[in-house]
Amino acid sequence: MGQLTGPSVTPVREPRTDVDVRPDLPWDVIVWDDPVNLMSYVVFVFRRVFSYPEEVARKLMLEVHRQGKALVASEPREQAELYVAQLHGYGLHATMQRSS
Amino acid sequence: MTRTFRAHGDSVRATFRPVEVELLRVTRDELAAALERGDPDDPVVQRLFPPPVLGDPEVESELRQLFQADLLADRLEQLDQLVALLDRGEPHRGGVRIDLVEDEPLLFLGVLNDLRLAIGARIDVEAVDRAEVDEDHPAAYPMAVMDHLGWWQEQLLALIDPPAVRVHDLEELDAPASGDEPDRGEGPRRGGPPDGRTDDDPGGTG
Repeated sequence: MGQLTGPSVTPVREPRTDVDVRPDLPWDVIVWDDPVNLMSYVVFVFRRVFSYPEEVARKLMLEVHRQGKALVASEPREQAELYVAQLHGYGLHATMQRSS
Repeated sequence: MTRTFRAHGDSVRATFRPVEVELLRVTRDELAAALERGDPDDPVVQRLFPPPVLGDPEVESELRQLFQADLLADRLEQLDQLVALLDRGEPHRGGVRIDLVEDEPLLFLGVLNDLRLAIGARIDVEAVDRAEVDEDHPAAYPMAVMDHLGWWQEQLLALIDPPAVRVHDLEELDAPASGDEPDRGEGPRRGGPPDGRTDDDPGGTG
């Protein structure tokens, strides 16, 4: 997004340092508890979106259920965006944030 | 009460009573109207399009617009497909019978979830104390609808992804959060893999 491809003859003097654009820094994908989504449905979504085995999907669902949220993935920004978009599509309350 | 969704060969056979068809159509129309209005202050819109990013307002506003446009188009499309499915159904004992093929059970599952999320947001279910909801409570009917659609989701999940419903077999589960476990007043019939077995519905009174 917003990637400008200027004339290649223009020498790039120095990279901007005020904005962190390193694409490989991970973003955490968090799923938050909500009172409507069924536990079985949340397990199904985790299995489907992340291809997690049953035990992993179930453990994460229980973490959401009991602790109010769970870290479900930590990925480069683009992949994290994909995950959050998919999770929203399934109706889960998911957010992403820079990994701390 | 017999199952609404049952395995039928490679497809999933859905059998709705007349009142259930009406319920689906009305609930679907309400959600479609809310999505088309798109009022950002509407709790239904807020719930179905949650903020994607925490801690970075710039990325947040960028992604929110992208996500919301895509998701809105998807959701409206799915709601249209629901109508098409209901219209395709064959009359059956005053209701409708529909054979769902390929990805249609998944579509149904997702739409049911959207419908339940919308109802929950509309009545602010998080603030409702289930113990205080008697039949005169304003949330009684919407919550009954949510439970009914939730029971349908459980049936679909048992057919689509049996491991997902095995979660109900866990003994370690603590008390379910409100809305998680519709009180069905029925024996245990969840959890087991359906393995193509169809519940018999031998012309009972339904």
